[in-house]
Amino acid sequence: MGKSIVNKLTDSINEDLFEFQEYDEEEAKRGGYSNYSYWYSTWKVFIQNKLAVFLLILMSLLLIFTLIQPYLPNQKSPTEIHINQETRLPLSNNPPDSEFLFGTNTIGQDLWSRIWSGSRTSLLIGLVVGAWEAVIGITIGAMWGYIPWLDRPITEIYNVINNIPKTIILVLMTYIMKPSLYTMIIAMGLTSWIDMARFVRNLTVIIRDREYNLASKCLGTPTRRIITKNLLPYLVSVIMLSIALSIPQTIGYEVFLTYIGLGLPVSIPSLGNLINEGRLLMMAPAQRYQLIFPSIIISIITISFYMMGNVFSDAADPKNHV
Amino acid sequence: MEKENIILSVKDLVIKFKLRGDILTAIREASLDLYEGESLAIVGESGSGKSVFTKSFMGLLDGNGWIDSGSIIFEGEEISKYKREEDWIKIRGKKIAMVFQDPMTSLNPLRSIGKQVQEAVELHQGLKRDEAKKKTIEILKDVGITEPERRYRQYPHEFSGGMRQRVVIAIAIACTPKVLICDEPTTALDVTIQAQILDLLKGLKEKYKLTTIYITHDLGVVANVADRIAVMYAGDIVEIGKCEEVFYNGQHPYTWALLSSLPQLGVKGEDLFTIKGTPPNLFYEIKGDAFAPRNPRALKVDFIHKPPYFDVSPTHKAKTWILDPRSPKVEPPESIKILRAQWEVVSHG
Amino acid sequence: MVSKEKEILLEVKDLKVEFGRRKKNKFVAVDNVNFNIYRGETFGLVGESGSGKTTIGRAIIRLNETAGGEIIFNGEKINGKISKELDRAITKRIQMIFQDPMASLNERAKVDYIVSEGLYNLKNYRDEKERKEKVEKALLDVGLLPEFLSRFPHEFSGGQRQRIGIARSVVMEPELIIADEPISALDVSIRAQVLNLMKELQKDKGLTYLFIAHDLSVVRFITDRVAVIYKGKIVELAETEKLYKNPLHPYTRALFSAIPLPDPRRERSKVLEVYDPNCHDYENNPPKWIEIEPEHFVLANNEEIEEYIKIINS
Repeated sequence: MGKSIVNKLTDSINEDLFEFQEYDEEEAKRGGYSNYSYWYSTWKVFIQNKLAVFLLILMSLLLIFTLIQPYLPNQKSPTEIHINQETRLPLSNNPPDSEFLFGTNTIGQDLWSRIWSGSRTSLLIGLVVGAWEAVIGITIGAMWGYIPWLDRPITEIYNVINNIPKTIILVLMTYIMKPSLYTMIIAMGLTSWIDMARFVRNLTVIIRDREYNLASKCLGTPTRRIITKNLLPYLVSVIMLSIALSIPQTIGYEVFLTYIGLGLPVSIPSLGNLINEGRLLMMAPAQRYQLIFPSIIISIITISFYMMGNVFSDAADPKNHV
Repeated sequence: MEKENIILSVKDLVIKFKLRGDILTAIREASLDLYEGESLAIVGESGSGKSVFTKSFMGLLDGNGWIDSGSIIFEGEEISKYKREEDWIKIRGKKIAMVFQDPMTSLNPLRSIGKQVQEAVELHQGLKRDEAKKKTIEILKDVGITEPERRYRQYPHEFSGGMRQRVVIAIAIACTPKVLICDEPTTALDVTIQAQILDLLKGLKEKYKLTTIYITHDLGVVANVADRIAVMYAGDIVEIGKCEEVFYNGQHPYTWALLSSLPQLGVKGEDLFTIKGTPPNLFYEIKGDAFAPRNPRALKVDFIHKPPYFDVSPTHKAKTWILDPRSPKVEPPESIKILRAQWEVVSHG
Repeated sequence: MVSKEKEILLEVKDLKVEFGRRKKNKFVAVDNVNFNIYRGETFGLVGESGSGKTTIGRAIIRLNETAGGEIIFNGEKINGKISKELDRAITKRIQMIFQDPMASLNERAKVDYIVSEGLYNLKNYRDEKERKEKVEKALLDVGLLPEFLSRFPHEFSGGQRQRIGIARSVVMEPELIIADEPISALDVSIRAQVLNLMKELQKDKGLTYLFIAHDLSVVRFITDRVAVIYKGKIVELAETEKLYKNPLHPYTRALFSAIPLPDPRRERSKVLEVYDPNCHDYENNPPKWIEIEPEHFVLANNEEIEEYIKIINS
C-alpha cells in the first residue's frame, strides 16, 4: 500500500489517541457468551415447528376430552343398548344424527361415547406400556451397556426372549389369564421393554468409553450416577423418539390382537374392538361410518405421536439449538 | 527482488456465514498475493478464519457461507464469482489441491491405497491401466512409501498415521496441481513423523514445482518450510513478510504473542508469555484493531480505528498502529528481543 | 529445584500391562517399566502415540488393569485388588487431567456439577455452602470466573475447557496429578496459558505431576526429570537438562532433533535424525536397564554401554 494512502487514512486521526489504553484482564477473560439452558432451548426449537405445536395442542385436547367426556351433560353410556321406542327393537345401525352424533352400532350402542371410551382405554394401554417400557428398558439397557460383567448374561436372556415370537407370548398370556385390560397391559409390558433395552444398550456402548466417562471414573463417581448423569442425558433425544413411537405402536398392537380375537373382551370398548366391529360392516356403504370414525381417531393419534416424536427428537439435539 | 509471477491474488475478501439466524463475518477484508513457486504459511489460532480463507479458493465453503465482497483472481480469472460446481471442478484438485489434518477422513477405508492414488492419476493425467499403475508406484515412492509395489495393494487401516498422510499427499500430487494447500498437515502426528512429513513436503515442492500454502496454528513448525509467513487474526492478515522478517523482526503485537508463547522460547522456571482471553466474537462488528482487547499494551486508537498496512520493507507489512510515527515506543516481550538480535545478523550480513 | 532429601511419592516396579484376554490377540502395551516420582517434582513421560505412555498413566489411576509388577504410592501397593478404603483414598490423592478438553467434559452438565463431581463422591464438605466455596475457589485458582458455574461446557473455548478439567482435579486437593497430554489438543497461544497455570498450581499446592507428552519441547520446559518410552519400554530416563545435553539412546536423539525451532536459520541448518529400531543388535546381545551416570538410566547392551560412556566422558 502506498505511503500516501496510509497518510490519507491516518491524518484524520487525533494525536491524543496514541496513548496506552488501560487494560482490563477480567474483560478479556469474559469474552462473548450467552446464557443457555438445555430444556429451554429444546422447547424453543420445538415450538418453532408450527405443525408440531398444533399436534401437541390437538393431542392435549384429545386427552383431556377423553377424560372429561363421561362427565359432560347429555352423554350416553358406551355400553347401554338403545331401544327404538316404536319397534321395541335395539336401535341398530342408526346413521349419525343429532341424537347419536356418530350413529349407533349393530346392537344399538352409541358410537360417540364408545369412541371416547375406546380412546381412553387405548391411550391408557399405550401410555402405561410406553412408560413401563421406558423405565424398564432404559434401566436394563443402560446397565447392560455400561456394566461389563452384565453384558453376557443379559445378552443371553435377550437372545432367548427375542427368539420366541412376541405374538406367541401374547397368545399364551391371554390364554393363561382372563382377557382383561390388565392382562393386555401385562402381556404387552412383558415383552416390549426388550427392544428398548437393546436400543439403549447399543447407544450406551457407543458413548461409554468417551473420555468424560473416564474422567468421572477417576473422580470416583459410582456407576449409578455415571449412568444417570453422563450417559442418559446424551441419549434423551433418541430415547424420547423411541418412546413417542412406541405409544402408537402399542395402540396398533392392541388393534391387531383384538382383530385376531385375542384382545380385550367385547364388553370393554377399545379402538381395537371398534375397528374390529367396523371391519365387519366395511362392505355396506351406509354403515361404513362405523369403521371410518374410529379409524380417523387412531390415525390422528398415531400420526401426532410420530410427528411430535420426530420434531422433539430434533429439538432435543443440542446441535440444533439456537 | 526480481519480479515474481502472481498466481493467486485475493483482494479485500469478505466471507460471511449464516449461523443460527445470525450473520458471522469470518473473513474481514483480507488481501493476499501468492507468488508462483513460493511456499506461504498462514498462521493463526483456531477460529481466526485461516481454513475458511483457503477453502474459498477452491469453492469449498460450507453451504451456509458465501463470499460477500472482494475478489479472488487465480491465473487471471475471477473465481470468486463462480456459482456452479462445474466451474469449481476445473480448479479443484486439478489446479489447487488440499491436504487435510486428519488423513483418515480423506481416504476411503474400503479401497486399496494404490487404487485411490491411481484413480487420481487416471483422471488428471489421462493415463491408462499399466501406465497409470507405473505412475502411481512412482508417486508412492516419491512420497516416501517404501516397497510401493506391496503397499499398493494394502488398505488405509494397515498404514500408520504418518504413512496415511503420505498417501493423502500422493493423491494430491497425482492431480498435478499448481497450488497445494496443506491444512494443519502434521497436527495429528507424532513429533518425529511431523518433521519427516514437513521435510517431504519441502522436497515435493521442488520436484513438482508446486506453490504451497501451509495452514497452521504453530509458528514453530513452519520456520523450516515457509518462504513467507502471513499471520491471521480474526479474519484478517495482520502481518505478512518473509520468513526471517516475521520471525526476527515481527511488528504486530499478535505476532509477538504467538511467538513468545512457544515453549521452545521459554526460560525454564519462568512463566511463558501468554495471550489473555479469547479471540473476538465474530458475530459482532469489530471496531478498530481486533486484537486490542487482548493486548495489554493497546493504544486508545486501537479501539476506534482499524489500522491500515504499514510497510516495514518492500516485502514486509503489518496492520498495527504501533508503526505509526505518532505512536509511543512499544517494547516487545523478552523472547522477541532475543530473536531480534538475530535480525541484525540476517539483515546486514 | 529438587532437594537433596528426595521423598519417593510413586514407585513403579516392573510394570506390565496387557490388552486382549485370549492368547491370540494378546498385546503387551507396557513391558517391564520402572521409575520413581519424587514428591513435588514434575516427571515427564515422552513417547509417540501407541508407545504405552497413556497406558502407564491409566494403570496408575486404576483405569487399566495391570498384568504384572507393582505400583506403590506413598508406601502402599495400589494396583491389583485393593480395599475399598484405599480405593477411596487414592481417588482423592491421585487425579488426572485429560488430553482433549472437547471430549473430557460432560456436555450435558453444568460447570458446577462437573467441578463438584469428585466432592459429591467423597462428601468431604460439611454443607452446601462449603461445597460451593470450594468449587468457586477452584475456579478462581484456574483463572475462571465463579459466574461461569451455571454455564455449560460448550460455551467455553478449548483453553477454558481445559481449565475446567484442571479445576475438577484440583478441587479434590490431590497430591499427584497425571496430566495426559494436557496441551496437545490446544492452540499454541493457549498452551502457554495452561502450562503457566499448571506450574503456578504446583507451587501453590505442592503438587506432583506425571506429565505425559509426545513433544519434547514442552517437556523440556516443564519437567524436572523425564523418561523416554518406545513401544512399551522405557529407553532412557534422566534429569531433563542432563538428557537434553547428553541424549544417549538413538530414539531420544531422534526426538530431540525433531523439535521444531521457531528460528528459521537454526531450523534450516538442523539435521533430522531418524530412529531405526533395527540399529540395535539385541538378538545376540540383549539390553539391560542400567544407571550409566548418577540419575541417568538407559536401556542398552554391553556394546552400546561402552559407546555411551565414551559420549558422556567426552
